[in-house]
Amino acid sequence: MADVSIKDVVKRYGSLQVMHGVNVDIADGEFVVLVGPSGCGKSTLLRMIAGLEAISDGTIEIGGRVVNDVPPKGRDIAMVFQSYALYPHKTVGDNIGFPLKMAKRPKQEIDDKVGRAADILDLTKYLDRYPRALSGGQRQRVAMGRAIVREPKVFLFDEPLSNLDAKLRVTMRVEIKELHQRLNTTIVYVTHDQIEAMTMADKIVVMRDGRVEQIGTPLDLYDNPQNVFVGGFIGSPSMNFIHGHIRDQGGKHFVSDEGLHLPLPETSASDGQAVSYGIRPEHIGIGDSGIRMKVVVTEPTGSETQVFARSGDDLIDAVVKDRISARPGDEVGFIIDPARVHLFDRETEQRII
Amino acid sequence: MKRQSTWLSLVFWIAVSLITLFPIYWLFVISVKPAVDLFTTPDLFLKSFYWQNYLDVLTDRTLRGYMWNSLIVSSGNALLVTTLGFLACYALTRYDLGGKESIFFWTITNRMAPPAVFLLPLFLLMTSYYRIGNFSLLDTKIGLILVYCTLNLPFAIWTLRPTLDGIPKDLDEAAYMDGASSWKVISEVVFPLARPGVAVTLMLTWVFAWNEYLLAATLTNFNARTLTTGLSEYVTTTGTEWGVMATISVFTLIPALIVFSLVQKHIVAGLTFGAVKG
Ligand SMILES: Nc1ncnc2c1ncn2[C@@H]1O[C@H](COP(=O)(O)OP(=O)(O)OP(=O)(O)O)[C@@H](O)[C@H]1O
Ligand SMILES: [Mg+2]
Repeated sequence: MADVSIKDVVKRYGSLQVMHGVNVDIADGEFVVLVGPSGCGKSTLLRMIAGLEAISDGTIEIGGRVVNDVPPKGRDIAMVFQSYALYPHKTVGDNIGFPLKMAKRPKQEIDDKVGRAADILDLTKYLDRYPRALSGGQRQRVAMGRAIVREPKVFLFDEPLSNLDAKLRVTMRVEIKELHQRLNTTIVYVTHDQIEAMTMADKIVVMRDGRVEQIGTPLDLYDNPQNVFVGGFIGSPSMNFIHGHIRDQGGKHFVSDEGLHLPLPETSASDGQAVSYGIRPEHIGIGDSGIRMKVVVTEPTGSETQVFARSGDDLIDAVVKDRISARPGDEVGFIIDPARVHLFDRETEQRII
Repeated sequence: MKRQSTWLSLVFWIAVSLITLFPIYWLFVISVKPAVDLFTTPDLFLKSFYWQNYLDVLTDRTLRGYMWNSLIVSSGNALLVTTLGFLACYALTRYDLGGKESIFFWTITNRMAPPAVFLLPLFLLMTSYYRIGNFSLLDTKIGLILVYCTLNLPFAIWTLRPTLDGIPKDLDEAAYMDGASSWKVISEVVFPLARPGVAVTLMLTWVFAWNEYLLAATLTNFNARTLTTGLSEYVTTTGTEWGVMATISVFTLIPALIVFSLVQKHIVAGLTFGAVKG
């Protein structure tokens, strides 16, 4: 087991720079999720930790040792690929045992450890099969078996669940989490799915365009997004943003560009400042009081209902637990709790409250 | 309707097979006839077997030597070019080489030139320059093995490249992560998966080297003569020994047939390997 320390890491492909000084500290045994939109550099960062991609500038330390020039073989880390990358010509048993074979472990030890890994992952029945005769979820587990069998210092996962259907994804999510609790090994996990990030991570690293936007616990990111990007990226359905200004007429409130007045908590924002007003759909209640909005669409999912409503050109959605009888065209009241409001500067997109 | 077209295609293919196979059959017929019978009115069907030609060929030490030479040269060459071609394709598909497409194309152009183009320069080089003391490459098996690389290596690179391209690089990377060295990645992952392509390449280059005539005829005198060049020695000023020639031809054909039938199913697998890989 080991901690991983990423310092000012830069990645260039020729003259094209895709990573601009990334800093992340990962503690021993921590489950860290790298999340961000497609092309933001998650895989590249992971592959630099793995040693599959050269580090152009900065350093990566694993267990206190700088590994910039250490090949993957010498880093004592294991990786699970998005494609699983199982060896098609080897049986499940040989796939799982391959890292041990490469480490020249005795046959008896290999058999024991493969047996144990198969046991943990419920693969004992399939040890003699070839990967092509397995389902997606089973292949996924074989790939994990191959990673855990060597008891590495760090596990790397690159979107391991993205090839599975929604239901299996939830099951595997739990299994990976369980595995982590059992082995307590440091995990760096890449995904572009923020729900995966929220549910699995001890710590989330939100990335965009080769930069880190914010690092924190899932709830920290949810409650205190540092900027518009993180606010919009974390949470589902995503945060409503309304452009407007601060008005200070004996108590500050927010006026949107469309003229909609919304409540504010205590803030240092000054009169006339251009801001983005952020409120999560689940923090809006629906009732007879509140701001009058005209319903556009309602989307009941059984457990909750999402309501899209309009006032002028401002479109806001709310998610409520109750069943809603309002139909498109009806007027309802949106009740906003000022304590749940996020305010960002329009220019810098940084958080004000 | 359906039945009729099946019959038609059956008849068609039987006819095509007869037409293509007839010369080979005729070759065989000639090889089992005594010389005196050759120019009588031809019989389509064999009435008797005359094995003397076969005995002559098999007991002839010179011809046995030629056969041995052919075997060594084609096997040696096929192994050499397939090994080198495999490694070249590994590098071409796995590493970021500057101008690798140009390298690839340049290699192929060697194969496009008519072999006769290489004849004169190779002959001169082999007689006067490629020598150490008294040893020159002319009329040696190793000399022929190397010369055939000119034509067979580009071919091997050309046939192996799609195979190696079709093996996902994720597998290489997974193996590196699992602690494999570059050689282990090749021997444990890439080579086993490339086997059908390698088999096809081995076979096709082997057959080419086995059948080659022009270069062998010019660059060998006696020691390294191959079976195909041996054939021509039976056309002499005093007459042509048709029966013996036919027999040698049959001997030349047999190994190619055997090799082909052995790897026939690999050919199909090899040619589609890149395509079906998910
Ligand atoms: N070999 C390369 N040459 C040039 N640019 C590259 C290369 N590999 C990746 N990039 C660029 O680096 C950036 C980061 O790519 P990366 O694969 O890390 O994204 P990602 O966050 O993993 O995205 P995704 O969610 O789609 O997998 C992208 O803009 C990509 O175009
Ligand atoms: Mg990626």
